[in-house]
Amino acid sequence: MEWNKNLSVPVICLGAAAVLCASFAVFMFAADKAPRSKTAPEREVIEIPVYEYQAEGPPSKLTLYEGPKTMTSSKTASIFANGNELFVYDVMVNHEHIWNANTIPSDTPMTYFDFEGKVTVEIEMPGLGKAVESAAVLPSSHGIVPEVKDGRVTFSVTEPGFYTVIYNNHVNKATHIFANPIETDIPDKNDPNVFFIEPGHWAIDAIALKSDQTLYISGGAVVNSVVIVDNAVNVTIRGRGIIDGSDFPGHNQPGSYARVPIDIRNSKNITAEGFIIANANCWNFNSYATENAHISNVKIISARQNGDGFTFQSCKNHTVTDSFARTWDDSLVLKNYSGSTKDITFERIQIWTDLAQSMEIGYETNKGLTIKPEISDVLFKDITVLYNFHKPVISIHNSDDAFIHDITYRNIIVENAFMQGDNGVNKELIEFHMNKSGWTAVRDEWGSIRDILIDGLTVLNTEDGAIPESRFLGHNENHGIENVTIRNVTILGEKITDLTALRANVNEFVHNIVVE
Amino acid sequence: MNKILTIVFIAVIAVSLIVAAIAFFTEPETLEPIEREVLIEGTAPPIVDLTVLEAPDQAGAERPGIFPDPEEAWVKLPEGDNLAAGKSVSSGEFTEVYDPANVTDGDLTSYWESKGLPAVLTIDLEGTYTIQTVGVRLNPAPIWEARTQGFTVQVSTDGENFTVVAPDARHEFNPDSGNIVRIDFDPISARFVKFIFTEKSSGRSNGAQASEIEVYE
Repeated sequence: MEWNKNLSVPVICLGAAAVLCASFAVFMFAADKAPRSKTAPEREVIEIPVYEYQAEGPPSKLTLYEGPKTMTSSKTASIFANGNELFVYDVMVNHEHIWNANTIPSDTPMTYFDFEGKVTVEIEMPGLGKAVESAAVLPSSHGIVPEVKDGRVTFSVTEPGFYTVIYNNHVNKATHIFANPIETDIPDKNDPNVFFIEPGHWAIDAIALKSDQTLYISGGAVVNSVVIVDNAVNVTIRGRGIIDGSDFPGHNQPGSYARVPIDIRNSKNITAEGFIIANANCWNFNSYATENAHISNVKIISARQNGDGFTFQSCKNHTVTDSFARTWDDSLVLKNYSGSTKDITFERIQIWTDLAQSMEIGYETNKGLTIKPEISDVLFKDITVLYNFHKPVISIHNSDDAFIHDITYRNIIVENAFMQGDNGVNKELIEFHMNKSGWTAVRDEWGSIRDILIDGLTVLNTEDGAIPESRFLGHNENHGIENVTIRNVTILGEKITDLTALRANVNEFVHNIVVE
Repeated sequence: MNKILTIVFIAVIAVSLIVAAIAFFTEPETLEPIEREVLIEGTAPPIVDLTVLEAPDQAGAERPGIFPDPEEAWVKLPEGDNLAAGKSVSSGEFTEVYDPANVTDGDLTSYWESKGLPAVLTIDLEGTYTIQTVGVRLNPAPIWEARTQGFTVQVSTDGENFTVVAPDARHEFNPDSGNIVRIDFDPISARFVKFIFTEKSSGRSNGAQASEIEVYE
């Protein structure tokens, strides 16, 4: 304690001051709240929103396409996808359900986008001519019940597909919405074998593709032209854009001629995907004497004379999947023009037939006058017919001498079988017929029809609420119809288990026809 | 002892004040943000990865640039009036319906075809002009494949006395260049223009062929 005695009071005070100063220095150096010459910024707090729907699925992707600036969006319909206004095209359709060489088409709204996830579609119809009081989204198998409020139709879609909206239980201005999957593997526009058509409005007399070439029609593109593939292999036509025939008068008009939007001839290994064909002046997607064609997500809307949808003559190994055809003539049609037809599959197709038949084999089954022509190994599977307004839904017309066999129809749903026929005839649901016609090329020879299976046919509505008739008519004992099995048929809710219930007209040249 | 402690304490005070001053004037640090999840209840606006492909400015439909206009590679003819358009034409025998009037009808799909070689075809310009160019054309469609035809060009003001302006030579017709043969010569007064065809390479016809023949000042 001796050193305490020697400490003076000032030194002690100085020591205390030193301790205080040291403490202050530590405070200033380390404390967040110590005074500073400049104020520290507030620490940012980032709020990450966690939406309820994230538990249900991934976020949506949505790709929209502006329409060409040379065109204006439809005045009939305003359509929105997740609040984004879409460009709506007025495309030709035809509500005249009987052949007329001078028919005048009307128009209806059509739009498209690409998406994955969930998209809410809203539609307003200022051009309908009357208030929207009700709406339905077809096909009904989607199970979509739209909300209609103050004239606005709202519904959501979660799967790519083709959605047709009708208003007030009427087909006028039925709106076609093509909801594509998101595009992948878009071709390289710098590839010398790729013809890449950008968004915009384009016109060229014809686009002829050679072997190993790709035509890409971008979404947002409208191309007034036709695509010709002749004697070529490994050709691809794809994209989301529109091949438009509105520049061309109807092919039967004076000075005009057929301008087939997709015309493939004598070729092999063809891929077609994603595009739309509208306003054609004749057939739409034609393939002749071609092997190995794979067509998917192709959409067709036609309104003018001979506006057949997917029409193949003497082709082999063709598949058409996930596609749409609203046509003013046969929607899906197989014929023989030069040799036989074999291995053709139509699967997951939506059809709307304003004129003629939905699924037609014939009439020309040997136009090329070849030896022993056949049409065989054909499958129609998961076909939804939204409307069939004119002639039979399922038909085989063997008007020449072909042997038609091994034809299968599986899971066919006809939402509206409204066949008005031709002045009271040709209004069957199913028709298999050995008959000469205006299209017959072989006058003195006959073929036959054999081994036909219809497994799953459902008709939801008919115009008069009655079961439509069907007919099966052979030519003679040697040229008839044999081995026809029809099962799992339901019409207007009634299970059909015999020919009588099917209202079938069967002549004596039909053998072993069974309804079970 | 007091002296030592005094020095130490003063030093401590001085250092402390310096440290405090440095701390006071030092730029405050920006702190890392804090992330905090916030649950948004009710109907959530969808999170959309939105892509919009825009359309270019256009006044009308255009030819896609990837398909160059084949006419750009065609042989060019003068821009003036074609003096032969719609004028009368005569020739020797011709094949079927392929009469000589087709060479002045303005339609490249119609044509004249002589019945054999040599073949003479004469255009009456129905007036006297000073001319210096003629164009002989076939249908430019690729199906009219490349070929040669040999011919002489002569002109006359009276239809009787002709002057050779292009001596007999073999000319190449090629659809890549529009199936057009252009022949230039010194300006000369003429009413009648006569072509004497002497040979051809194509085996598709029996005689000479021409879809259009054009004459320019």
